[in-house]
Amino acid sequence: MIKAIGDAFSDIRSGFRLRRVWLALAREDIDDQHRRTRLGPLWLLVNYLAFASIFIFLFHRGDTSQESYAAYAATGLLVWLFISEILIQANTLFLREENFIKGTTLPISVYVLRLTMQSVIRAAYAVVGCAVILLVSGAVPTPIWLFSALALLLILLAAPATIIIFAFLGAYFPDSQFIVTNVMRLGMFLTPVFWMYSGQGGFRMAFYHWNPFTYFLEIFRIPITENMVPVQSFLICGAVVLALWLLALVLLGRYRKQVVFVL
Amino acid sequence: MVSINVKNVGLVYRLRQKISLARKTPAVQHTGGRVSAAGGRKTVIALEDLSFSLEAGDRLGLVGSNGAGKTTLLKVLYGIYEPTMGKVEMKGRVDALFNISLGFRKEATGRRNIVLRGLINGWSLDQINDRMDAIIEFSELGDFIDLPFKTYSQGMAARLAFSVATSLEPEILLMDEWIGAGDARFQEKAKRRMEEIAEKAGIIVLASHNHGLLKRTCNKILELDKGRLKAFLPVESWEETG
Repeated sequence: MIKAIGDAFSDIRSGFRLRRVWLALAREDIDDQHRRTRLGPLWLLVNYLAFASIFIFLFHRGDTSQESYAAYAATGLLVWLFISEILIQANTLFLREENFIKGTTLPISVYVLRLTMQSVIRAAYAVVGCAVILLVSGAVPTPIWLFSALALLLILLAAPATIIIFAFLGAYFPDSQFIVTNVMRLGMFLTPVFWMYSGQGGFRMAFYHWNPFTYFLEIFRIPITENMVPVQSFLICGAVVLALWLLALVLLGRYRKQVVFVL
Repeated sequence: MVSINVKNVGLVYRLRQKISLARKTPAVQHTGGRVSAAGGRKTVIALEDLSFSLEAGDRLGLVGSNGAGKTTLLKVLYGIYEPTMGKVEMKGRVDALFNISLGFRKEATGRRNIVLRGLINGWSLDQINDRMDAIIEFSELGDFIDLPFKTYSQGMAARLAFSVATSLEPEILLMDEWIGAGDARFQEKAKRRMEEIAEKAGIIVLASHNHGLLKRTCNKILELDKGRLKAFLPVESWEETG
């Protein structure tokens, strides 16, 4: 296992040395998707705003008892969309990169970082949208919001590890792409993205407490909506990120040269 | 001093039965070699106990029928496949000319594609800039270089791919078939370019079915048969036996 982790680190080091490659490719990927459109990548901002506004309108419906609902939904959606995109895209990553994996000696981490970068660019537009909604809903920034920034960093740190795990899962178990897509589709409703948990029991309690996504949403959301630091959620997320990285490093070290044979 | 030293190299991989809800089919296309089934596990013996060494100035021709392991050996030398047995020692920078149009993006301009392909090849931005004009000139694309790649004819696209791929000064050059591009006139130019590269390279390994080409280009021949070394001999001896 130690050798595998050492190999994984050397792959990641080479990946960082080749950062120009994945930075350039990620930029091209985003540009390609909007090449012919008038708004270009601004569509990413429009998409987020449209999505968030519709859900805020549908779920809130003028209920004045929850003043910060717009902020609650906007922050939750931002993190959810990032996580969901990472998981779904990661699952088919090696299949999409098959020609490169079979034809070049680029380290696997180049593909992982390319997808991470793509998702970060998309999320950056959503962050602008989220800021607009927070501004319109009257939220006032406080120093506690810095913990939300820290949360984004932690989520970002989890991204490459998650991509590595799901990319290998998708390569060795191709059916998983349909499972992951469906789970994420349902997950949006089983995770407190739009609904609030107020201590009741039953299914909601289970979906709230036993759902790792909840804690990643909360570390970003609670400093903004409740002006407090969710210490327990931060600890849980920190532990999850550590576990993800440990598993990702072992997989990367052990299977980075094997994956070419299953594509 | 460039050199290639291959010692007892073998490549065996398991035909993994992908975990799937579908009916079971082998997960991997065979790249060559022999398939063996022992203890319920199917494995492919792609290369077996290969040993040879090459020194500066050597031009090795890889021959063998389809599936003999020529491309697999090239990919092992390049580092895409890690051998499961033995050792490969490569001294010198290795460049490979297989799949030369890999990574070209249809929406990007020819110029941008040169940059992207250069980065993928591991060139620095300075190296790319230094080579840019020569690549454009060789490709004969003129003003088209600033138009999207998708507007190119097949011949133009092939000329650009060839120009970028061959704009290198390799120490060790690996080739899966001799490459060419474009119309008859460009083919001639491409042929000269290939000969120049071959002359400059310290070592060449060329897999080909074209025996005439191998006799012209190579000084040694390695013949593979089902992943095993069948013969490794000077080209003159091979001519006599062949």
